[in-house]
Amino acid sequence: MDAHWAAHQLQVIRTLMERAALYRRALSPILLVAGGLGAAGALAGWKAPVELPGTFIAYWLGLAALGVALTLAIVRKQALKDAEPFWSPPARRVSLALLPALAGGLLLSLGALAGPALPRLRDGMTIHAAHLMAFVWLPGLWMILYGCALHAAGFFMPRGIRLFGWCFVIVGAALFFLPWAHTPTCRTGHLLMGLCFGGLHLAYGMYLRLTEKPLPGA
Amino acid sequence: MNPEPFLQLDRVIHEKGRLAIMSLLAATPQLAFTEIRNTLNMTDGNVTAHLRTLLEAGYISMTKAFEHGRPLTTYALTARGRQAFAEYLDLLERILEQARGK
Repeated sequence: MDAHWAAHQLQVIRTLMERAALYRRALSPILLVAGGLGAAGALAGWKAPVELPGTFIAYWLGLAALGVALTLAIVRKQALKDAEPFWSPPARRVSLALLPALAGGLLLSLGALAGPALPRLRDGMTIHAAHLMAFVWLPGLWMILYGCALHAAGFFMPRGIRLFGWCFVIVGAALFFLPWAHTPTCRTGHLLMGLCFGGLHLAYGMYLRLTEKPLPGA
Repeated sequence: MNPEPFLQLDRVIHEKGRLAIMSLLAATPQLAFTEIRNTLNMTDGNVTAHLRTLLEAGYISMTKAFEHGRPLTTYALTARGRQAFAEYLDLLERILEQARGK
């Protein structure tokens, strides 16, 4: 036994303590369900377009609530299967990390639905500006906030969730830089939501499905 | 090097498997049996034996409950276990400090 041994012991202890604090459940089922829901929601929205910005916002808020409910159901099923508590300390940490940015997105959306932030033509706003706000910039803000939520939760998760969060932040921010020569419609919004919330989740979920080895404790 | 810190190392914690269990429990309020077993890639028998030793030493406590109709056994560090773990870490640091001071 020497100093090298003591340093090694401390390193092992540190690694184990970090591992105990990580969220270890399989992420690919959650990502695939979320992506499938996003893609299906975008397709349904595209097929039956409703031109009103308020309806578009309410539609995607409803889908987000459904996504959260499905995610909780999957996590509960995984916990039951593994004979582990559903509301474990790592799950609590991840939830608390997700909460501020997701709550911010919800409040922003409710404000846009009910408050003066909802684009109104009577306020002298052009159709182009109103639709740009509702169908492009608001989805962009959703993506940025969702990316921030994932990045925060990524500190308590083992795989590249933080990088995934950055993808949403970058894509969401990019929407503010794109030139829109034509007036965006709700179909533009559904397309953006489908590609980003549907496509990115599905792509990362498939990647994890193919590469995810059962993590210790998964 | 002064051998004194080595002699003071807690033999209950010092064993590799039990040290791993203590480290996991030190980082989280409680863990289920399956979480400990899977995180450490140990067999049921191995984990059970180490947990029993730690229980007998009074370093951990066990709670049996039912969640959604299924039995759920969880373990947590006791105050005594937390103190023993802190003392163990302190001794490791003292060993390192002694080596640096050489």
